[in-house]
Amino acid sequence: MSDEHAARNSEMFLRAEKITKVYSDGTVALKEASVEIRSHEIIGLLGENGAGKTTFTKILSGLLPPTSGRVISPAGPVRFSSPREALDFGIGMVHQHFALVGTFTAAENVALSYARPFSRIQLAKTIEQLEALMEESGLGVPLDVPVEKLAVGEQQRVEILKVLSRNVDLLILDEPTSVLTPLEVDELFNLLRRLRDAGKSIILITHKLKEVQDVTNRIIVLRQGELVGDVQTASATTEQLAQMMVGQAIEAEAGAVELSDEELPASRTLKAVNRTVDSILQVENLTIRGNTGEIAVDDISFEIHGGEIFGIAGVEGNGQTELVESLTGLRVPDSGTATINGTNILGVDPRQIYRLGVAHIPEDRWELGLVLPFTLAENAILGVHRWEQFRGALSVLKWGRINQHVKQLMERFEIRAAGPGAPAKSLSGGNQQKLIVGRELAKNPDIIVASQPTRGLDIGSAYYIRQTLLDMREKGRAILLVSADLDEVLAHADRVAIMFEGRFMEVCSPADLTRERVGMLMGGVTEAKETA
Amino acid sequence: MSPQEAQRKSRLLRGIHRTVTGLHPALESLMAAVVGLLVGAILMKIWGFKPWEAYRALIQGAYGGGYELSNTLAWATPLILTALTFSMCLRAGMFNIGAEGQMYMGALAAVCIAYFVLPPGIHHLVGLLFAATAGALWSLVPAALKLLRGVSEVISTIMFNWIARWLGLYLTLNILVDPIRSEKSVSIPTSARLPVLVEGTSLSYGIFVSVAFALVIYFLLWHTATGYELRAAGLNPTAARYGGIRNKRTMFLSFILGGMAAGLAGATIMMGMPPTYAAFGGFPQMLNMGFNGMAVAMVGRNHPIGIIIAAIFFGGLSSGGGWMQILAGVPLEMVNVVMGAIVLTMSIPELIRVFPAIKNGTYKLIRSLRDGKGKAVEEGST
Ligand SMILES: Nc1ncnc2c1ncn2[C@@H]1O[C@H](COP(=O)(O)OP(=O)(O)OP(=O)(O)O)[C@@H](O)[C@H]1O
Ligand SMILES: [Mg+2]
Repeated sequence: MSDEHAARNSEMFLRAEKITKVYSDGTVALKEASVEIRSHEIIGLLGENGAGKTTFTKILSGLLPPTSGRVISPAGPVRFSSPREALDFGIGMVHQHFALVGTFTAAENVALSYARPFSRIQLAKTIEQLEALMEESGLGVPLDVPVEKLAVGEQQRVEILKVLSRNVDLLILDEPTSVLTPLEVDELFNLLRRLRDAGKSIILITHKLKEVQDVTNRIIVLRQGELVGDVQTASATTEQLAQMMVGQAIEAEAGAVELSDEELPASRTLKAVNRTVDSILQVENLTIRGNTGEIAVDDISFEIHGGEIFGIAGVEGNGQTELVESLTGLRVPDSGTATINGTNILGVDPRQIYRLGVAHIPEDRWELGLVLPFTLAENAILGVHRWEQFRGALSVLKWGRINQHVKQLMERFEIRAAGPGAPAKSLSGGNQQKLIVGRELAKNPDIIVASQPTRGLDIGSAYYIRQTLLDMREKGRAILLVSADLDEVLAHADRVAIMFEGRFMEVCSPADLTRERVGMLMGGVTEAKETA
Repeated sequence: MSPQEAQRKSRLLRGIHRTVTGLHPALESLMAAVVGLLVGAILMKIWGFKPWEAYRALIQGAYGGGYELSNTLAWATPLILTALTFSMCLRAGMFNIGAEGQMYMGALAAVCIAYFVLPPGIHHLVGLLFAATAGALWSLVPAALKLLRGVSEVISTIMFNWIARWLGLYLTLNILVDPIRSEKSVSIPTSARLPVLVEGTSLSYGIFVSVAFALVIYFLLWHTATGYELRAAGLNPTAARYGGIRNKRTMFLSFILGGMAAGLAGATIMMGMPPTYAAFGGFPQMLNMGFNGMAVAMVGRNHPIGIIIAAIFFGGLSSGGGWMQILAGVPLEMVNVVMGAIVLTMSIPELIRVFPAIKNGTYKLIRSLRDGKGKAVEEGST
């Protein structure tokens, strides 16, 4: 091993040897991938969507058996037939999609992961332990609310707490940062560093190169199932990493890396040329209650013009979800008005809202965006299945046309899947997201309500989606962009609203904002305190 | 592995996988049937019967010849329809346990056409139409209760079965009663009887009604936007709502179609089952057909084509059961035991996983034995 020197007092914890995974439908997800994992290190796992990252870590954590190859610990080969066995061995994984019981509280979910029959006493103990852990880790969540009522970001935190509370030696995090705000990311990374210094191993999957370079010691790269890179973080440049991920061929995408990661304001040069005078979406005094009956959105007013991207930044769970749901017909607000070109859209069926030219990229792709057991083709027409091009007389579906459409989508948005007939649940996380985004953008909408549109997408895909949104803006469409990714909002929005506890702290041009100030506003700190 | 090689291998595997997963549900059903028959055999053994002989008699009696097969199909006719009732609603995410009652109402509505004089053909159509409408109307009440008031459809449909049963008894013996024979209703006139297909059996043109309805449902579910909406709403109501699907409408629709199927089941029995073509108090000719339909639906994996096959199997159990009793002396109830065992086996989720579980368990055992001897374990590909 050439990079032995890096880890001071590190020793081998686990070695994956020539792991190959062929899914039962014949998809080769991993091809003889070998990696050594040592204590005292944070490993970044990079790769495009569908490269096999999730598959690899699922095998390590006992959720999937490898087709061939083996995992070796210093004591000999190990083989887990369930995540529980892996946990007992000291390997815990936080999944890209959460494995929480929706009707249980955070505490109950954690207690549930310990043992089957859980008692009141144990629950009380768990709560105590969790409170200590939250204090220590800086990850805060309400413990007594059913997790299905929590925002996605909060659910993510519950998952992390769940694994941390098991005191694992190897912590695997599959895209944990895609739903966290910069501040939360910093906190998480500090936590990871502390864990590393305490001798743990950590595998971090993310699509953000900056994060990887920030926190990891070592980086491994998967490309189409093959392990193409294993380098020390300090010795790798962004360009090298990007090249490893996509292969040599693609030059243009390397530029994408820089734009999305470094030169945020680059896109501002093509600012709002086609902005229309009249607003398309008009929202006045909107007040919405959340699932638990509390006021989630508090008397908000704004408008979006054609040719404009209106961004909403903020920590998840501050009313963004409720706002978006109200504007897309999924939630009935308490009071206020919202109109699209003068037509009321509050309390109206989603179907009627879509007729006004609205497309909705939802934040929760498993609950809202997809019918997981449905095939790719069936999912690709969700919401447009009644369009004339797909539906003939007697509402007979034109499967020929639909499959053709799906193939186009797959090509245009680079959705990697076995084919139009593959079930959506067999797609990798990023490819599921591409499917939703592709479906919505292919509607050629007048108004796009996009929640976290690039969550989980690799750099190239995220770049393409953002570019498509910018194109649509050029064409005079109105776009509402809700994102926890501050950089994304600041780089692309013409106007930004910072949302905190159901209110807009400030609405202004991103040019007038610094990251620091946004961070403060997101935390509810107003100007007065800032200058004081 | 070179990329091309992997590609080729992957394409082959994909093909195999598709065939096998396509067969998974069928395999599971087959396994359940085998387990059910085995349980029956064991019980027969315990009680001192000869299972081999009994089953031979059963199979002979069910599928042994044209005559036997016809009777089996006659049994299958209403089962296909009541199974569709359950499956339709399940596909839309609802549990409709009310096929029994809906079938009774359909049967009574079919009997009502005895009071009209119409030319054959039209008379048949009117009968079927009446029955389908009555079944649908009867299922609409629980559906409405569910959608407007949130009443659990499981409870309300079961309650409606009882209402239908006693209401049916009253109507048969008091309103629709045969003036000459007071234990039964008026008989359906020849102009509205579904012709018998095979002389001497109960197999009538009703089988075409059943199969046609199953095919229509199949087409509806997988080839129309309406069926697409129904399946989407059943699998993920939230996503369906997001997709502009009105879940309440799809649920209503599933109940209406389900009720129609059950109503038609009643009609095929009233209009197609010799010799009486009339309802009796307590509905002996169709007792439990609605409930057995749920078992058929389960074994048929809620797929219209699967249901047709499963109905022929269950129909065979019923029609061959008599022969089993006569030739092997095994009580008829044994058929119910077999059916029960099948349903229990079917309700084990992901039955097919039994095989990998057994495989893994064996591996583990072997490994632990080898580890015990202190050898390093070499685990090859699975
Ligand atoms: N259950 C499954 N059945 C069949 N194929 C699958 C299944 N799960 C994943 N795949 C395929 O395996 C490949 C690797 O998927 P994986 O989820 O590991 O990707 P990933 O690197 O995590 O991607 P992402 O960044 O999008 O999350 C993909 O081509 C995917 O379609
Ligand atoms: Mg993944």
